[in-house]
Amino acid sequence: MLFELIGILQRCTQLNIIGLADSDVESNLRGAGIGMSVQEARSIAEVLGRDPTITELFCYDAMWSEHCSYKSSRATLKEFMPTDGPNVVMGPVEDSGIVAIDDKWCVVISHESHNHPSQILPNEGAATGIGGIVRDVNCMGATVVATADPLRFGDPYGPKASKVRWVAEGVVDGIWQYGNALGVPNIGGDIVFNESFDDNCLVNVVSLGIVRRDQIIRSRAPPAAGEGGYDVILIGKPTDASGLGGVTFASEALREEDEETNRGAVQIPDPFLKNVLFKANDDLFRLVREESVEIGFKDLGGGGFTCAASEMGAAGGFGMEINLDDMHKAGDFPPEVLSIAETQERFLIISPVHLREKILKIYNEDWDLPNVYEGARASVVGKINSGNRFVVRHKGEIVCDVPIQHLTGGIRYQREERPRTFNLVEPETQEAADYNAVLLKILKSPNIASREHVYRYYDTEVMGNTVIRPGEADAGLIAPVRGEKFGVAMSVDSNPFYGRISPYWGGATAVAEAMRNVAAIGATPSTITDCLNYGNPEKPEAFWEFREGVKGLSDSCKQIWLKGYENQPVPIVSGNVSFYNESPQGSVDPSPVIACVGIIKDIGKAITQELKAAGDRLYLIGPRFDELGGSEYYRTIFNTTGANVPIVRFDLERRMIYAVIDAIDEGLLASAHDISNGGLACTAMEMALVRPAKFGLDLELDNAADAGMRTDKLLFSESSGFVLEARPGREGRLVDLLRSYDLEPMEIGKVSRKRRIVMKRAGVTVADLDLDEARLAWTSGLVEAMR
Amino acid sequence: MKIAVVQFPGTNCEYETLVAVKAVGMDGEIFRWNRSAGELSSFDGYFIPGGFSYQDRVRAGAIASKEPVMQALTEEAAKGKPIIGICNGFQILVEAGLLPGTGKVEMALAQNVMVSNGKIVRRGYYCDWINLRHEAPPRRCSGSFLMERGSLFKIPIAHGEGNLVTSTPKLIEMLNDEEQVVFRYCDKNGRVINEFPVNVNGSTESIAGICNPEGNVLGMMPHPERAFFAWQLPAFDPRKQRPDEPGPGRSVFESVKRYIEVNA
Repeated sequence: MLFELIGILQRCTQLNIIGLADSDVESNLRGAGIGMSVQEARSIAEVLGRDPTITELFCYDAMWSEHCSYKSSRATLKEFMPTDGPNVVMGPVEDSGIVAIDDKWCVVISHESHNHPSQILPNEGAATGIGGIVRDVNCMGATVVATADPLRFGDPYGPKASKVRWVAEGVVDGIWQYGNALGVPNIGGDIVFNESFDDNCLVNVVSLGIVRRDQIIRSRAPPAAGEGGYDVILIGKPTDASGLGGVTFASEALREEDEETNRGAVQIPDPFLKNVLFKANDDLFRLVREESVEIGFKDLGGGGFTCAASEMGAAGGFGMEINLDDMHKAGDFPPEVLSIAETQERFLIISPVHLREKILKIYNEDWDLPNVYEGARASVVGKINSGNRFVVRHKGEIVCDVPIQHLTGGIRYQREERPRTFNLVEPETQEAADYNAVLLKILKSPNIASREHVYRYYDTEVMGNTVIRPGEADAGLIAPVRGEKFGVAMSVDSNPFYGRISPYWGGATAVAEAMRNVAAIGATPSTITDCLNYGNPEKPEAFWEFREGVKGLSDSCKQIWLKGYENQPVPIVSGNVSFYNESPQGSVDPSPVIACVGIIKDIGKAITQELKAAGDRLYLIGPRFDELGGSEYYRTIFNTTGANVPIVRFDLERRMIYAVIDAIDEGLLASAHDISNGGLACTAMEMALVRPAKFGLDLELDNAADAGMRTDKLLFSESSGFVLEARPGREGRLVDLLRSYDLEPMEIGKVSRKRRIVMKRAGVTVADLDLDEARLAWTSGLVEAMR
Repeated sequence: MKIAVVQFPGTNCEYETLVAVKAVGMDGEIFRWNRSAGELSSFDGYFIPGGFSYQDRVRAGAIASKEPVMQALTEEAAKGKPIIGICNGFQILVEAGLLPGTGKVEMALAQNVMVSNGKIVRRGYYCDWINLRHEAPPRRCSGSFLMERGSLFKIPIAHGEGNLVTSTPKLIEMLNDEEQVVFRYCDKNGRVINEFPVNVNGSTESIAGICNPEGNVLGMMPHPERAFFAWQLPAFDPRKQRPDEPGPGRSVFESVKRYIEVNA
């Protein structure tokens, strides 16, 4: 047997490593198109005891890429991140995390980036982002019920404006063209423009699913798979060469001269086939329940077939034997292409042999894949065994035979960190003479203006579950199970301007704001996911930024406890690390993009942000601090960043979030909006400007603390807080409730019948704006920036 | 009373449509495109839900309209059974010649073109809640059987191609004369203003839904199944605060039920 194996191996192409000098190994690797380091290649040859085949090296290259193996980040994540909690059903071990809603239902959540592909081919890149993330959620046995897209683009008025606008438009098109056709509502997201994204946009995507706790499907070979010789069944689109090296491409900095080559690494998505596959998958899940068997189910994403197959086998503790000749494919591709191409719209099933015919019938006959999409189908491509090797055959040869745990185990690097040093100064500013002009300018800023231009492209209504949609409140809300009263809320956040000044506070504030967003509609923060977008981790400054960000966001999770469980963190159950977001012009601003999922027990209690009735009293909670570093005001009016970044006062933050949730639950609030970009001024104005925009504002700033602050700082400080509209007659109870949380309610004025936004301080009118003029500025800012 | 919710590859509103069918007390099931088309005759009425059937290849609805199930539905339509096409379902009915009902393809649902003050301000896909006015008299059309003329509905749209156009002379005049125009886009007070945002997609004479001459086949771009419960309404609608109330879209489903009862 051994001689036979060696004989076969000698017949397929091996890459000479053993006995060669480093420079020769290097040129052999690069010549074959493999990106791994010489040391990595040597360590593989050593474990195998021979020179590896080309296919083996490609498989290792994909599996040991930063994208698949988290080789630079894993130690840091483990060191800081809280991933467990009383509501956690599954932490970050498989494709998605799972938290409990109640005893029966769970939310499944996954969060990814698709940054590099979207910079090269915006439409396909962004679409594939959705395509991949919804597979991650679906493969847990869940119904995919929502998506959200946090987007970061370059400066639409900067030197690269036309490229930036081309990317932004293409990304939005890709999102709606894929998501709408798939039939999953987009219920949130955000957009920030900033020159650090000129050459490297960020396209993150979050997806939510719903599953019954007793119907979760795991992404691993089930315990009986080895002895039972379970089938490995590949379903979906025929494998082609698209997305070849996608994970490797995602693990390098972007260079303009590589643009042509990089296009080949972008995958081609197909929402139409996905739509049919999801329905067929539902039948698979039903079959599994009826037959009471356990299967393994996983989507094919980064690293393609090899990644999905080997990870499922290794997670079950088994080996497997694959025959690429049995794979349905779009042409005669070499084995390394079939192994790691990232062809979209594919899943892998590991299932008992006696279910084979029934499974094949679901895909190939009932849902008729071969007639829905040319070459699509379900094929049995291999078998699980009790061994420990990942063996792949192609045209009678063994092209890969490696220890499966070694392949999936990856490698670890302890990267060096060094604080980035830069000079930050607070600007000496003159208080504005004409606040009306300042307010209009800020309302029109691309980072403050209404997002309506974009979200009207998104189908926010499909599935019929949507309770609160984009533009109506700080978070989106769906009622995903008919007959149940609970709702699932989602919000995303990250402020790159804060991250630039302090990567730690950039992380901490992103978590706090995402939680405030969810609380502002009455939902309780239940879990956090993160997509950590940074530069090249091999550079100590970038790695320092990453570690600071992780510390900051973890501290917020640990100190703003899960409501109802003192000292228990809000758990982080899923996430993604995206390094190498840089070009020769520099790295993106540190961007730990956070998504927060909240649960509300009764959707009937949820509130939105638009003002409800003239005469209602408005309250501010959260004192203003002189921390305008990274603020919209400094940037738009003074063209400067500043130094005093907003921080999270963890104890205050927790009390504010809890108080708002309780006040909404008691029915004390008519509307609520959290304070973030643009400070108190923008927060209050937005409540008047969102539809139906029926009321004005009469703000009296005398009660707002810090009372000694200059008016512009009071209005535009982005310190955390909320503006609350009390329900008439419930003001007394609201004040009592806030005080019981040791908060000082500051009454700052009333909702006005007049269509004007009026701000006064010490009897002097500071601003007096026509509501319709303000609304025109606010609704046109994004349209002009993206046109 | 049994309803078939017809499913093509790419359909994406079949589940919520079935929920609405059942919620008004009708039986229903999803009917997959590759089932034997002959089985359709055992149903009393049909919904063709929204989505992107066959990926909108060629034109939205064009491929699905050639499927055997659509031939079978043409026969069932001739028997007077109700067929309601919503969004992509409307597009399929037009491509199949069932609407406006002459047996020929005489109109198209073209790309949305938003025109305001003589200028194109936007094109293509648009999702929002809009207002509809019911134009036909009661009992004229299966899907609006119970609605008064002039009654108003708040309802969502979500489509890229809903702009009804025709090159057939006098077709629009005939539709108006024969009371085949069932719904028009209007403002919240019921005024038809042929400009964006009230005419949300540039449709000729703000037409949002039409029926065949017999009234049993209705096509409409807006989604009544997404406005079935009051909690689905937008935040600024006061009915949202009364979540147990029915939503405005429910009357389409109630109408179909009543139509079947009356014609049984």
